Amino acid sequence: MSRITAEELKRLLPLSPTIFHILLSLGAGERHGYAIKREIAARTEGKLKLGPGVLYGSINRMLEWGLIEETDERPDPHLDDERRRYYRITNLGRRAAQAEAARMRELVERAAETFGVRRHA
Amino acid sequence: MREEPFSRKIYRWLLKLYPAGFRETYAGPMEQEFREELAESTTAWALAVLWIRLLTDLAVTIPAQVAREFAQDARHTFHLWAVRPWQTACTIVALAIGIGANMGVFSVVNALLLSSLPFREAESLASFQLFFPPHDSPKRFHDWRTQTAFLDDAALWETGDANLGGAGEWRRARVAQTSWNFFALLGVRPVLGRTFAPGEDVEGNGWGPTGPNAVAVISYGLWQSLFGGEREVLGATIRIDGNPLTVIGVAPPGFDYPQRASLWKPAAYSEGNYGFTTIGRLKAGISWERARTLALAEAGRFAPGRETFANLNPPVVTPLRDELAGPTKTASLVLMGGAVLILLVACLNVANLLTARTADRQVELSIRSALGASRARLVQQQLSECLLLALAGGTAGTLVAYVVTSVAAQLQPAALAMQTYSMLNVHVIGVTIATMLLVGFLFGILPALHASRIHGFGTRSSSDNRGLRRLRETLVTAQVMLTIVLVSASISLGRAFLDLMQADRGFDRNGVVTAMVSLEGTTHDTAAKRLGYFQEVLDRLSRLPPVQAASTTQFLPLDAKGFVGARFKLDGRQASMNSMFVPVMQDYFRVMGNQLLAGREFTRADIVGNARLAIVNEAFAREFGQPADLIGRELSAGKSSWRIIGVVRAMDYMAADAQGSQIFHPSRSPGWPRTAVVVRVAGAPENRLAMVRDTIRSVDPQVPLFDVKTLEQRMADQFARPQFYKTAVMCFAAFAFLLAIFGIYSIVSYTVARATRAMGVRMALGAKPAGLRASLLLKGLLPVAEGVIVGVAGALLSGKLLESLVEGAQLVNATACVVEILFVVVVAAAAIWVATRPIARLDVMQLLRTE
Repeated sequence: MSRITAEELKRLLPLSPTIFHILLSLGAGERHGYAIKREIAARTEGKLKLGPGVLYGSINRMLEWGLIEETDERPDPHLDDERRRYYRITNLGRRAAQAEAARMRELVERAAETFGVRRHA
Repeated sequence: MREEPFSRKIYRWLLKLYPAGFRETYAGPMEQEFREELAESTTAWALAVLWIRLLTDLAVTIPAQVAREFAQDARHTFHLWAVRPWQTACTIVALAIGIGANMGVFSVVNALLLSSLPFREAESLASFQLFFPPHDSPKRFHDWRTQTAFLDDAALWETGDANLGGAGEWRRARVAQTSWNFFALLGVRPVLGRTFAPGEDVEGNGWGPTGPNAVAVISYGLWQSLFGGEREVLGATIRIDGNPLTVIGVAPPGFDYPQRASLWKPAAYSEGNYGFTTIGRLKAGISWERARTLALAEAGRFAPGRETFANLNPPVVTPLRDELAGPTKTASLVLMGGAVLILLVACLNVANLLTARTADRQVELSIRSALGASRARLVQQQLSECLLLALAGGTAGTLVAYVVTSVAAQLQPAALAMQTYSMLNVHVIGVTIATMLLVGFLFGILPALHASRIHGFGTRSSSDNRGLRRLRETLVTAQVMLTIVLVSASISLGRAFLDLMQADRGFDRNGVVTAMVSLEGTTHDTAAKRLGYFQEVLDRLSRLPPVQAASTTQFLPLDAKGFVGARFKLDGRQASMNSMFVPVMQDYFRVMGNQLLAGREFTRADIVGNARLAIVNEAFAREFGQPADLIGRELSAGKSSWRIIGVVRAMDYMAADAQGSQIFHPSRSPGWPRTAVVVRVAGAPENRLAMVRDTIRSVDPQVPLFDVKTLEQRMADQFARPQFYKTAVMCFAAFAFLLAIFGIYSIVSYTVARATRAMGVRMALGAKPAGLRASLLLKGLLPVAEGVIVGVAGALLSGKLLESLVEGAQLVNATACVVEILFVVVVAAAAIWVATRPIARLDVMQLLRTE
């Protein structure tokens, strides 16, 4: 795959919360759509419950941008429905997530300077 | 296996609403997730929450995905268009004309026939002809209208043209005299002041009351132009033919019923006035059929002793809207038919082009299909392209529609100013969008179906190819068929029009200048002064070198709006038909180029002496013998009598009543309220208009002078409408013909391009290029021949329909039919021959080497 320039990467930012969460889930390993969704719901304590249309709409866009890719490997064919699709994060996806996290950290630091931040809210 | 739960079926069905690309990839996992979530939702509440969440999700994401894939398709389509810009432009132009013609004609049909009139509960308003309720006094009329069994209300109106304003400044205006309740019946409220009050219409002769009841409601336009929109208009005085009227109200903008009136005044009733028209509002629950029966029964009662007349000439009761649409109704429907046909031809043509392109793109489509694009996705892409084409065609079509409506508004104006031919109308916009979508699918469906049959291996089966060719040939056949139908229709309308224009109407239309003057309300408005004025006008005109003869009359040929005449007797014997009674001055027949069959025409002495003389025409004379036999005999009607001094050829006075019987008499002041001055000039009459106008005006500049035109121009105006219809249908036919030829050419040149190798092989084996081309010619002409056969049958059917719809339209005769067919076939053959030109230039050796 051709190398992504910093310029191109910049154009993807800021990532939408949905996309960032999906990248976060896939960062830990391959997942199918439903697993991603449950993980996000658990991580946000049920605040972000993705509908199937939103989830797969985002996945579709992320595939197009090259942030993730589909994988043919299945963990265990017996356990799984063949209709499921599995995804894994790409290098670009990783770099995009890093860039987004850096952007957020910068934002948090700025907020801390301005307001002061308590360690645990 | 357990039966699938109902909710899963619903969800699966809902997933089908996603566009093909998305659906194919994600419907599976989405359904799977749904199954799991469904299993987890055990309570009814949880189930409800699940469904609410899913439906919201679908509602948001389906449109988003549709837009996304449509945008992809659009990008792809624009790329394809850029590769073949000319073909695309042709397609869009064809569609623009097809859609635009429909849009334009439909906006006319909508305004005239579909939209309701701008009056209160307009559906129940009726117009009556040959129906004369009691109108000798206001009391008798109002008693009748309040007691009638089938009408809630009724009103009378009569219109005439009058000179408006005072001395020095005048204009012609259409004036209506109406029963006082006219505005109330229509539910029209004035924007200023009031309309007529009970008792303001009176008994009397002539044009409305004088004294305190001499009031008028003026049109909004008149208020603006004469009074600058000032509120002080109420109470102002306005003069109609010199008589003062007090303005009491201003009609709402655009209101000009009846007959584009711009001033209304209360009626003067008199028994002998049969110029009134009755309008009424049907009682609730009375059908049009029942209204007709009741009107007939009442018509008999109005005039005892005239029941036979009423039975022979039964009253005609029509919905007001149909009455106003009148003759334009049929014409609009014929045009609508033509426009629909032209749209069909355009669609067929586009379908043909797209099918050809699908064939060209078979390799590309196969590759895309092999790369995983499903059939549904390919079909979706094709349909998107078609929708885009229809959209582009429709957008460009609004321009065509704008032209059509403005031409129609000029040549076929609606009866009411409020019935504008607007495209910005819910109906018109709705129908146009529906047409565009329908058209998009209509011509998109064939190529799309074909695209869905493409296999994923980059190969084309020969049966597929043959099917495709057959499909395109069928399209050509259909196009040729529609072309033949349209060309036949335009031939029969064109001939009807030629007949209309070239008919011998008994006068020579060339070299005549006509002008209208009106002496009402001027200083010449007395019997003695009228003669003096007219003789002065004629003297001054006659002194001009280019003028050969000049005269005046009441009616110009083909311009008589109504019938004025009687049943005459010759030496006491009654004629079998009514004759029109036309007042003229000296030299009238010389000016009109009419032929005197016997005797002489009126002289100046006859006019000045008010001689009791008459000239009859051949239609009248025929009943009583040879023209020469009638000279000197006595003509009578009632107590009056005239001596016949001449017999002339018949002229057409009314277009509908050609070559009727006319009797001319000398008059010291022909015409009321307006007189036509006719002048025969040497040289081109167009160049004499100013001369005639200035000469008449020089006699008295205060006398209203209007409508200075050549007689030829006047006839052209008269026939502008049939001319417009003929031209429109001819344009349709020419357009259809061009598209059909284009279709034939493209199919043959495509075949040639595809079969180059086979041709080369056959030529290498000794076949002559000319022979190959001839065989292609025969093959190409086959669908044309099929189209011709079906087309002639269609032309016969549509011709019958046209005959019944359009006066004077005749079925195409055999000769015209053969010429038309030959023409189509020869041009088609020429197109095919040109399309096969590459064969003649084929270099066999070169070809075989590259193979």
